[in-house]
Amino acid sequence: MSSVSPQNDYSYDGVTRRKFLNDLGLGFGSIALSSMLMQDGFAETQLQQIAPRAKSVIWLFMIGGASHLETFDPKPAINQYAGKSIEETPHAGVLKSSFLENERVVAFDPNNGFIRNKLFPMQIGFAPRGESGLEISDWLPHVASRADDLCLIRSMWTEDSNHGAQLQFHTGRHRVEGFFPTIGSWVNYGLGSINENLPQFVVMGTPVADCCGGKECHRANYLGPKYDGIPLNIDPASPLPYAKPPKGTFQEEQDGQFELLRKLNGLTVDKFPDDEALVARIRSYELAYRMQTAVPEVVQFADETQETIDLYGIELKETKTFGQQLLAARRLVERGVRFVQIYHGSNGGAGQWDSHKGLKANHSKLCKQIDQPLGALLQDLKRRGLLDETLVVWATEFGRTPGSQSTDGRDHHPYGFTIAMAGGGIKGGVAHGATDELGFHAVENRHYVTDVHATVLNQLGLDPRAMQVPGRKRLEKDFGHVIREVIS
Amino acid sequence: MRLLLTVLLLTVFSSPVSADENFYEQQIKPLLATKCSACHGALKQESDLRLDAGQLIHAGGASGAVVDVEQPNESMLLSRVQTKDPDVRMPPEGEGEPLTPGQIELLTTWIRGGAKFPKSEQVPPDPRQHWAYQIPEKTELPQIENGFGEVHPIDSFLLSRLHERKLSAAPQSQPATLVRRVYLDLLGLPPTTQHQRKFLADPSPNAWKQLVDELLDDPAYGERWGRHWMDVWRYSDWDGYKNELRGSQRHIWRWRDWIIESVNEDKPYDRMVTEMLAADELAPTDDSTLRATGFLARNYHKSNRNIWLDATVEHTAKAFLGMTIDCARCHDHKYDPIAQSEYYAMRAVFEPHQVRTEQLPGEADLLKQGLVRAYDAKPDAPTYLYVAGNEKHPDKEHPVSPNLPEVIGLNFEPQPVELPPLAVYPSLRQFVEKEQLEAASAKVKAAEEALANVKETERNELPQQDLIAAKSELESLQARWLADRAKFSQSKDSTEQKKLARQASQAEKKAKLERARHTLLVKKQSLQEAESSEPADEKAKAALAKSRQEVEQATKEQEEAERLAANAEASDYTPVGTSYPATSTGRRSALAGWITDRRNPLAARVAVNHIWMRHFGEPLVANVFDFGLRSPKPEHADLLDWLAVEFMENDWSMKHLHRLILTSEAYCRTSSVSSELFAANIEQDPENQLLWRSNVQRLDAESIRDSVLHVAGTLDQTLGGPDIDFGDGEKVHRRSIYFRHAYEKQMQLLVTFDAAAPNECYRRSPSIIPQQALALSNSSLVVEQSRRLAARLSTAASDSEEFIRLAFESILCRDCTADELSACHEFLASQSQRLSQPGRLTPVASSGSIGLPAAADSAQRARENLVHVLFNHNDFVTVR
Repeated sequence: MSSVSPQNDYSYDGVTRRKFLNDLGLGFGSIALSSMLMQDGFAETQLQQIAPRAKSVIWLFMIGGASHLETFDPKPAINQYAGKSIEETPHAGVLKSSFLENERVVAFDPNNGFIRNKLFPMQIGFAPRGESGLEISDWLPHVASRADDLCLIRSMWTEDSNHGAQLQFHTGRHRVEGFFPTIGSWVNYGLGSINENLPQFVVMGTPVADCCGGKECHRANYLGPKYDGIPLNIDPASPLPYAKPPKGTFQEEQDGQFELLRKLNGLTVDKFPDDEALVARIRSYELAYRMQTAVPEVVQFADETQETIDLYGIELKETKTFGQQLLAARRLVERGVRFVQIYHGSNGGAGQWDSHKGLKANHSKLCKQIDQPLGALLQDLKRRGLLDETLVVWATEFGRTPGSQSTDGRDHHPYGFTIAMAGGGIKGGVAHGATDELGFHAVENRHYVTDVHATVLNQLGLDPRAMQVPGRKRLEKDFGHVIREVIS
Repeated sequence: MRLLLTVLLLTVFSSPVSADENFYEQQIKPLLATKCSACHGALKQESDLRLDAGQLIHAGGASGAVVDVEQPNESMLLSRVQTKDPDVRMPPEGEGEPLTPGQIELLTTWIRGGAKFPKSEQVPPDPRQHWAYQIPEKTELPQIENGFGEVHPIDSFLLSRLHERKLSAAPQSQPATLVRRVYLDLLGLPPTTQHQRKFLADPSPNAWKQLVDELLDDPAYGERWGRHWMDVWRYSDWDGYKNELRGSQRHIWRWRDWIIESVNEDKPYDRMVTEMLAADELAPTDDSTLRATGFLARNYHKSNRNIWLDATVEHTAKAFLGMTIDCARCHDHKYDPIAQSEYYAMRAVFEPHQVRTEQLPGEADLLKQGLVRAYDAKPDAPTYLYVAGNEKHPDKEHPVSPNLPEVIGLNFEPQPVELPPLAVYPSLRQFVEKEQLEAASAKVKAAEEALANVKETERNELPQQDLIAAKSELESLQARWLADRAKFSQSKDSTEQKKLARQASQAEKKAKLERARHTLLVKKQSLQEAESSEPADEKAKAALAKSRQEVEQATKEQEEAERLAANAEASDYTPVGTSYPATSTGRRSALAGWITDRRNPLAARVAVNHIWMRHFGEPLVANVFDFGLRSPKPEHADLLDWLAVEFMENDWSMKHLHRLILTSEAYCRTSSVSSELFAANIEQDPENQLLWRSNVQRLDAESIRDSVLHVAGTLDQTLGGPDIDFGDGEKVHRRSIYFRHAYEKQMQLLVTFDAAAPNECYRRSPSIIPQQALALSNSSLVVEQSRRLAARLSTAASDSEEFIRLAFESILCRDCTADELSACHEFLASQSQRLSQPGRLTPVASSGSIGLPAAADSAQRARENLVHVLFNHNDFVTVR
């Protein structure tokens, strides 16, 4: 029927993969294709050079800038001097610190990003918790109950006094410098997979908005889309893009198609025995096929007990979303996923944590959304013996000013803020570093954001310095320094 | 102290040092290269000291010897890297991290061992002698016949290299493979079955050349190759949150259309570069050509002018010159002979320019429609060098003049350009006046109708006053047009001009007064209505108060308008449009001339390399945007240079290059070879640098989506037009190039297949990831097109075998083998059997919707499934 020559140019003298490989002294043929696929691996980069302390990371990012002064870094002095200007206190020196020069902006913002001078008292009480006596805000009672597992880094600083700091927290580069690989993508690049049925870098929650870095906060940039964070929804019918065929498809129908595809691609391997991309593509289909089952299964909580569901607060209105995400995160790391990044507080703009006014109402509400699920995650990981191998990081792009804005809010504050870590070989019940008496500058053991990256990589057994690819020069500040003092 | 201890321990306990020449090659030379050579190398030679060759290290510098093999510890090389004094320490602060104890130990060991180096070591040459900075010339062609019995320049160079290395080349591909390869290469679409059959049935020896010509004339060629250049030229649609523009520009798709049209008409490449950089100076009133300056408009960055200009400088240099001048923004270039001041001198070329949107016929709202273009807004804007690249520290003492990197050896001599009135005052274009007057007349007409519709029993002072105001507004507009036209007319009669200006002023003030009167009437009427009843609540009270205020305000405004209208001598009036500077600096024209100068060593080489890469899958120069010192002389430098000169000699015609490349034997080789040939070649040239075979390539993102639609017969091949919402990519069947592609605005399907990053993509890097498998398996687009194609093929095929063969021919452009045929037969039978009992099957839980349901007939549904499998076949997304 067709005038196309039935002769196939891609088969030389009926060369088969078997003959081809035999000729090359390799003795296996297409029948062994599947086992070869098993062995070939996905050619992941294996850069693990130091003994790993953790297998996985759960990275929680509060969008908008959570106040260190109402979460993890109490400062009695701002209560003592409440209503006074900073100059009127014995701590006026903070306004002359050379640390102020670290600030960089994309563009002047006439409304936000100022040093607010009139001290604003803490909007919530703090109390010592656990055996360690770590001081944690009363808005976070569940988290506080895990104080002895927590490591607070109270001496973080960043450069951007606007919300581009969200991008900076993930790439280590200021917004004006453009886009770079994120910490999650470096982990994905450095480690590859334990579980091949699931993507290795998963993202949940509404991402950072376009003002502040957008999806570039979980992408891999020059490392390639292979290392991008894959967005996951808590919806078994559509957990990730293209995870499910259109409505009306039968499972057996797809199985049949997949079987035929495997056969046809296998026949093609016989004809093009030296085509590595073809083998990789066949593998990618095997993996995709398994992902189709494995991914929806992760976000189905049918096999979880009611006690667990309640622990995470999944049936309560305020905690439902974050609770589901954190439970899914536990299920993901249980299955060997390397990096789970969860955004909290996206609102299409700067982020909900951005409380320029009404901080009390804002932070008490948002803390309630995260407190029970986060406490539950730490408890759940621990009782399952997973906390030792899972590093949990709670972070935000910057802290908030000790001074007030709009009478009852706080402005952006890049000079000193707090992040928290737990598990994964990190000491518990510890506060490392400190801000000054006003909570203004990080003064003791100062850490730029990439120090957190370096510590994460180190705990996973990766040398931060090894995280580079030819032709892409990384700067000194990109690598960061491992915070050795907090490693147990 | 610890250092000293290390050295001591080393002296006491270590075995005799074997710091021979190898030690230098393996340990010392790389260390010095990373730590010292940027300042003490061929490029900069600070303090007359070079540390990039053994004999130069021994020669020392302005401060004398740096190594002392007699008294190693006295060596300046050691003391300067170890000192604690930050003013003396090498490398200096900011230029590099201090050496580690281990590195210092290496240096010590080497000097102790006599600081030996191989006698044969070559001193690195002057960077100005770098191959890419020399003007390319055609070397004599090796007279070697290719398999077609011709001396083809490309084959001559490639075959001579293969002969030297005693390697054989792969044979010619089969016609079926070739026809698919060239269609996808030139059009980004596979050949239809008719196209395949036509070519395969043509026995003429010229069939191939004819096919190439035909495809180069196909408008789809411009879309395919236009997209390549859009990668290089950083095409991006506008980005921003909701309706706020933050990056690039609205309507920039006109630049995309200009690219496609220019590629299709084979506009000379040098002309294209020139128009993109300076159409506003060369064709200041030609809207069609002005579109080209989208190249500049694309860099617009709302929040920060420095980011905008940095991007402009960086990417102009990378795209057209393969030059990483951006590395010289904070300090002198570490590898190439480019000073930091030269970065800012190039920035000065762009400093005056800005972007504006010109009104186009038919739509006055520039958010909806307009022509985005560049122009020089501030000819005198100064450029300052930013100390250490920090915009907080501009060196205002020494403004930087526009200039271009000296290493290229060409003069930069901008001549200011006088612009014609239509460019200075674009509103003078006839349609603008016509449309403005039409709009004003329409208002008069509407007011007349409103007045006519007033019932006799009603008051009519409001519509009456509205009509008066509308009429005087029309008169005002007419008067202002007369005055403006006189102002820009060739014959400058100043008396007449002044008279018309006075009239315009009067008319405008009268119109404002009449409108103010109307507004006052409106406000009074609302107040009356509000006062007619007792305010019921707080809200109503507030409304009443507001209404009173508004009447007060309107009264004041009317009084002010009366006062202004009373002045008969006034001649100020609002011009009908915006005017722009009458002179452009000519800097960007001069830049374009400098880039496209036949003596510029980089421009043609860089362009040829881009074209070559997109045909062969691999470039001749590996780093397509950096031809600086980090790019060693390429394997095929002679071929590159020959093609670069050929390109320029043939009026920078891209189609000429395409023809040359496509008619070479090299292009037509098979990608897969016999095991004997493979074994013979793979060790000597595993990367296929010598092009002994074709490279297997994966289709790029756009080609994959477009090919699915094309094969199914549903691709809408309309050319050009506004960008389409990226969210509609699975519903709208236009080619992928026409969908919005910007930061945060990208079609998922394309991103999954490695679409260009809108910010920078000089070369795509195809990946193979499971998400691609999921996309082709599950996207509604592919499933729906599979169903359509299956229906079409079923009408043409009389039985299953014919259906299977036709499906292979349509989708993979080849016939199936016996094994494939039997596998497919088996599948159709078993799948159809399975599907005939849907009650026994498990529906997949899914939220994905699709417009076209699966066939009700189970045999047909099995055929749909088969077609869908073939779209997922590795060889559908692969060019062999």
